Amino acid sequence: MSSSRVAGMMLIFALLAGCGDNLIPSGEDKRPVVTAGSSGAAVSQKAPDFSVQNTSYVMVTRDSSVAGKKGAVFYFTMWCPICDAHMSDMRASIASSFPDVNFYLVDYVTGSVEGAAASAVSNGYAGGVFSVLADVNHNLVNGFDATMGTTVVIDSGGIVRMNEDYRDGTALYAVLSALP
Amino acid sequence: MKNLSGYNSVAALLFGAATLFPLHSFAASCCGGGSAAALTVPKYARAVADLSFDSEIYDGYWNQERKHVADPAGSDLKQYRINAGVGYRLARDWQASVSIPYVFNDNVYSGVNSQSDGLGDTTVAVTYELLDDNSSWKIYEAKDMIPAVSLGMSLLIPTGISPYDDQKSSFDITGRGFYRLDGTLLVEKVIRPFNASLALAYGKYLDRSVNREYGKYVQPYTKSLGDRASASISTGYTYVLGTAGDSIVGTFSYAYLNEEDASYNGSIDSGSGFDKQSLGAALSYYSNDHNWGVRAGWNHAIKQNGWGKNFPTTDIFSVGVRYVFL
Repeated sequence: MSSSRVAGMMLIFALLAGCGDNLIPSGEDKRPVVTAGSSGAAVSQKAPDFSVQNTSYVMVTRDSSVAGKKGAVFYFTMWCPICDAHMSDMRASIASSFPDVNFYLVDYVTGSVEGAAASAVSNGYAGGVFSVLADVNHNLVNGFDATMGTTVVIDSGGIVRMNEDYRDGTALYAVLSALP
Repeated sequence: MKNLSGYNSVAALLFGAATLFPLHSFAASCCGGGSAAALTVPKYARAVADLSFDSEIYDGYWNQERKHVADPAGSDLKQYRINAGVGYRLARDWQASVSIPYVFNDNVYSGVNSQSDGLGDTTVAVTYELLDDNSSWKIYEAKDMIPAVSLGMSLLIPTGISPYDDQKSSFDITGRGFYRLDGTLLVEKVIRPFNASLALAYGKYLDRSVNREYGKYVQPYTKSLGDRASASISTGYTYVLGTAGDSIVGTFSYAYLNEEDASYNGSIDSGSGFDKQSLGAALSYYSNDHNWGVRAGWNHAIKQNGWGKNFPTTDIFSVGVRYVFL
């Protein structure tokens, strides 16, 4: 085999090696073991405290978000088509079944309460079952290691019950159904 | 290409060029990753090398009700792609190609500023040329109307950065993370200065296991993306410059894309599918020996209600250069 072919094959292997887990996906459960009740964003941990304004300029904290309720759902949106599909599904198929849960849309991209309010209106999510939070300082997105589509559930004691992508809402429904 | 005359040589070049612009219009970063289109070796040529640059500018999206919605005020969302491709003729009627994009994401919101880059998803393709267009400049009888027809298979390889990699932000995504196998059909006819083409593709994604989302390990599950169908039609006109044989080809195209709903562990996620319609225009210049060609194109998603669902609306500006090896 010529040296150029060897070099070419090495280049291809080097490129493929940098392609992450997509070429050979793993189905192995690699979730880290965490201590229940410790502070953190993983399931079973005590959620980090936060303080953000909603679009009515009311300050919402971890404890106030679940006050008088079984829990709270935080959906992280950047007002994109995938976000719209998730939010639309949550509103139509889930929220009405859980009146004792608060549903929050976390806007972490517009950078102001006014911007979050305007985006909520233009995207058709002002009012109704959702309260929109303006995560101006990224307290929530950083505290929960969140990004577009991340869905976090905390129970009335502030314990994280779910922290993962929304997908089709099945997992969210099951988690909310199991809230004490 | 010097052994070919006039429109025949242009036809051979168009046979590949016609497929490039419409397919690139499906590469939105949130929903399609940065995949490159397959390219085609002109008939009678040994190989082709192609290098192009796309600038995709986002401007709102179609929601679930097919209504066009604006992006948040102050946002400026772009994706740039450098696409490198090589095609090689394996036999008289068989050819293979590989196309690799390198993707640059540039997302600016009032509250977030993110720039990232990485390899996109790679496309490898094999094409069989079922029929040749042998009568592009003399149409005397019915058989002279026979178009060029090619059938192909392409494989999208998830070499890009997907949501299932160790990447915490959706802004860093450059690929979808799934293999996809497409069957393709390209029909093209050139009659004197006029050309027209029809390109169809139907693709099936391979299911995959997922145990991580945006850097966080999750309970493993199986995800399937819905089947993807696309169609594009184009028509063009070739203007020969002087007597030296240089030519300019203008092309207009319409493209449609549909992807069915995804599923998780076999359960359909209704509402996750999308569709998109777009219009395109391109200008290509070919030198008199037709070894070199350069092109510029624009693909435009119509930012009005009803022209798509669950997909970003974008404008894609492209420039490219191609060299044909005889």
